[in-house]
Amino acid sequence: MSAPCEPDRVPSVLHVFKVYYPDLYGGTLSVIRDICAGVKHAFAASVLVCSNAARPRQEHLDGVSVERVHSFGDVLSLPVAPTYPVRLWRRIAAHDLVALHAPFPLADLVFAAGLGGSRPLVVHWHADIVSHAWLRWLIEPLMRRTLRRAEAIIVSDQALVARTALLTEFADKCVVVPFGIDLSKFAGAPAVPAQHGAAPPLVLACGRLVRYKGFDVLIRSAADQDFRVWIVGEGRERPHLEQLIDSLGLGDRVRLLGSLSDEELRHAMRSADVFVLPSVTAAETFGIAQLEAMAAGLPVINTSLPTGVPHVARDGIEAITVEPGDPVQLAGAITTLLADPERRRRMATAARARAETAYSTDNFRQGIERVYRRAIVAHGIVNSARPQRGGLLEPVRIAAALAWSDMRHRYVRSLLGPFWMSIQMAIMVAVLGSVVGHFSSAGMLSHLPMLALSLTAWTFLNSVVLDATTALQVSASLIKDRALSPIVFLLQCCFRQLLFALHNASVPLLLWLLLAPMDVAGTLKAMPGLVLFVACTFALSLVLGALATRFRDLKPIIESSLTLAFLASPIVWSPEMVDRGSFIMRFNPLTHLFAIWRDPLTTGQVPAASVLYVVVVLAVLGLACVAAIGHLRKAAFWI
Amino acid sequence: MARIRLNQVSLDYPLYGAYDFSIKRRMLDRLVGDADGTRTIRAIDNISIEASSGARIGLFGPNGSGKSTLLRLVAGVYPATSGRIEIEGEVMPLLGLSAGANLDFIADDNISLLLRISGRRPTPEIIDEIWAFTELDERMRRIPLRMFSSGMLMRVLFATATAFPADILLLDEWLSVVDEQFAAKAEQRLLKLVSAAAIVVLASHDQGLLHRICNAIVRLERGRVVATVPVTSSSTARAHLQEICA
Repeated sequence: MSAPCEPDRVPSVLHVFKVYYPDLYGGTLSVIRDICAGVKHAFAASVLVCSNAARPRQEHLDGVSVERVHSFGDVLSLPVAPTYPVRLWRRIAAHDLVALHAPFPLADLVFAAGLGGSRPLVVHWHADIVSHAWLRWLIEPLMRRTLRRAEAIIVSDQALVARTALLTEFADKCVVVPFGIDLSKFAGAPAVPAQHGAAPPLVLACGRLVRYKGFDVLIRSAADQDFRVWIVGEGRERPHLEQLIDSLGLGDRVRLLGSLSDEELRHAMRSADVFVLPSVTAAETFGIAQLEAMAAGLPVINTSLPTGVPHVARDGIEAITVEPGDPVQLAGAITTLLADPERRRRMATAARARAETAYSTDNFRQGIERVYRRAIVAHGIVNSARPQRGGLLEPVRIAAALAWSDMRHRYVRSLLGPFWMSIQMAIMVAVLGSVVGHFSSAGMLSHLPMLALSLTAWTFLNSVVLDATTALQVSASLIKDRALSPIVFLLQCCFRQLLFALHNASVPLLLWLLLAPMDVAGTLKAMPGLVLFVACTFALSLVLGALATRFRDLKPIIESSLTLAFLASPIVWSPEMVDRGSFIMRFNPLTHLFAIWRDPLTTGQVPAASVLYVVVVLAVLGLACVAAIGHLRKAAFWI
Repeated sequence: MARIRLNQVSLDYPLYGAYDFSIKRRMLDRLVGDADGTRTIRAIDNISIEASSGARIGLFGPNGSGKSTLLRLVAGVYPATSGRIEIEGEVMPLLGLSAGANLDFIADDNISLLLRISGRRPTPEIIDEIWAFTELDERMRRIPLRMFSSGMLMRVLFATATAFPADILLLDEWLSVVDEQFAAKAEQRLLKLVSAAAIVVLASHDQGLLHRICNAIVRLERGRVVATVPVTSSSTARAHLQEICA
């Protein structure tokens, strides 16, 4: 299950975070990189991050595709990248899963707005917001909405679920997947360093030089002691820490080594006697650094934070746990350990064993993969639990796709190209126009554009209704074999004929440009009428389509009725040619259906009575549609 | 998790073609006192089936025993006359042999249209991958599907339908048309789908195929479940297959 047994499409995951390598270095980042790299054979990883460095927007790093959105710098530890939410929203649909590495309020904006709901979301909860706690009231509602929408929340330790207020609300979604580290990287380090006597014992600490890491506490604890302290890492606090070292006069024993390569870090670990994780706030959720030290076989001193920190290395077994922010207690713990080589050796063995068993990369990787898989499946279930697969819009989308492909296939193998339909329409207009011209006293040419438009509209109505009578039989295989709703195919008729009507509309448009000045205000007034016209056509096609599929003899009846209606309605001839008040004219719904958009075009006036008539007709058709849709559930029996 | 639960489901299939349902006939019936003469045939008779993630159910039975109808009931094509149907999960039905393909369109267009129908956005890469799975000649992509043999058609449709994980996959007389080599590949893909917590329901006359793929076989006769047999004999073979997969 873990490895694909064929060159298959692996699901792709979009990782969402602030920064990515090599813009910055840190524990959380190395975890994200490990996730991307670790599961890459099962999930293709893409990363969308912010960056203010002049790096390429798109690049591939170790098989991970990284896209950086430009940021103008950081405010309150957050990148200022106004385009990020938009970019994120656009990217989501292209992936099978979104992995949000929280906290990242910029991404919360997108999820809290309910966007990107088409894909499952997994939240990797790396830390709570601690550094700018006063922002909580603003950000917490956003985070809550994001978590509510998430399929699963991955945390590194059970303590986080119990101690983080926001997570307790979603405890059932939380999955504990402890971080894992590559043990081989630290293998070969001797359990206890050999050289002693010459140099004073060495205390090691690693991490970004930021406030919450508590390195100032470690430096203070070194005052009036004889051990050396090496701090590995870089960060904003460096000047402050340097100043502290100077003011305490510890320059000869306490050193800030800056960033080290893996090899140099290994060497530092080998030389050290004790590892200290002096972090002071709950922003330290796990302490990857202490885990690395454990893997290297170092005894650990950590702090009793309400997070995973004291659980990864346990007090009295692999670690001595002290109160955070207490240099005296810390110094006491360090000197106790340094004075007891036998205890150090026992703790080191225990530490290495724990790192191997509880925090291996394999466990980590498999845990993450399991959560991702479940999220993808669970999301599909929630989605299909909604009515009609993805809501009401889904049939419309499918119908549009089908109609579009219908249109494209009208083009292939055609002699005259895309507009052969328009040419047909042009010929019809020319012939009918010359015939009608003989009846009418008015100038024939000035009537031509309206004639062409009326014919286009009639062709639309006529074809939609005719198509609808056979649509369900034609698409029987999609209805019976792919379980698509029959309504899709009635919609498809309407969409397809709309597309064709747009082709045909080139004829009246051209005539208008050539023969008569176009009245823009009248055209705008005609638009609502045209919308009503299309709505009525669709409703009619739905009702007649359902009826004609159920009762096969209706199709010829509908065909002949349409011809009759064409002749009996003022489509080719204009209403002025006959007595407008005549009974048949007034009660023929088609008269009004055409009048509601033709009158504004010719006279600039919207005929209120006709609009009312059409709205009533539409309401009746709407009721009939409801009944028809109810019966269409049985459509599969009819075809 | 995916789940199918049928509880005492029955389906009466109305026989529109065979009898006169016209208004004239109904009026006459009413006049002579033969009201409510609905002609129906009981296609599914009081069937209860439960399946959850990881199930591969084979439907076996003679022609007209209700295999396809049962699949269509699960897919939601037919409304049940009585009983309860509960489906959790996205259903991907691939029933009749053409399964919604438009034979006039070329293969590529069919693939992208079928992807759209199942709510996916077809990209050139996805279509390339689907085509790679079919192992058909690259030139065939620009050829209308009507020129394909039924086995080739099945390859295209199967590859398209299983390109994305579905929770519930319904197959009717499918793998029997393709050649052995592709059938083996398709079986592997089905097993993989199931390992991602899916349910597969497969109707077939080919008992060997059912025994290879399924972990339970439901025998249908005249719309009733005659027997439900858990497949044990092939479990070792299946474990072997999974080993190859892993």
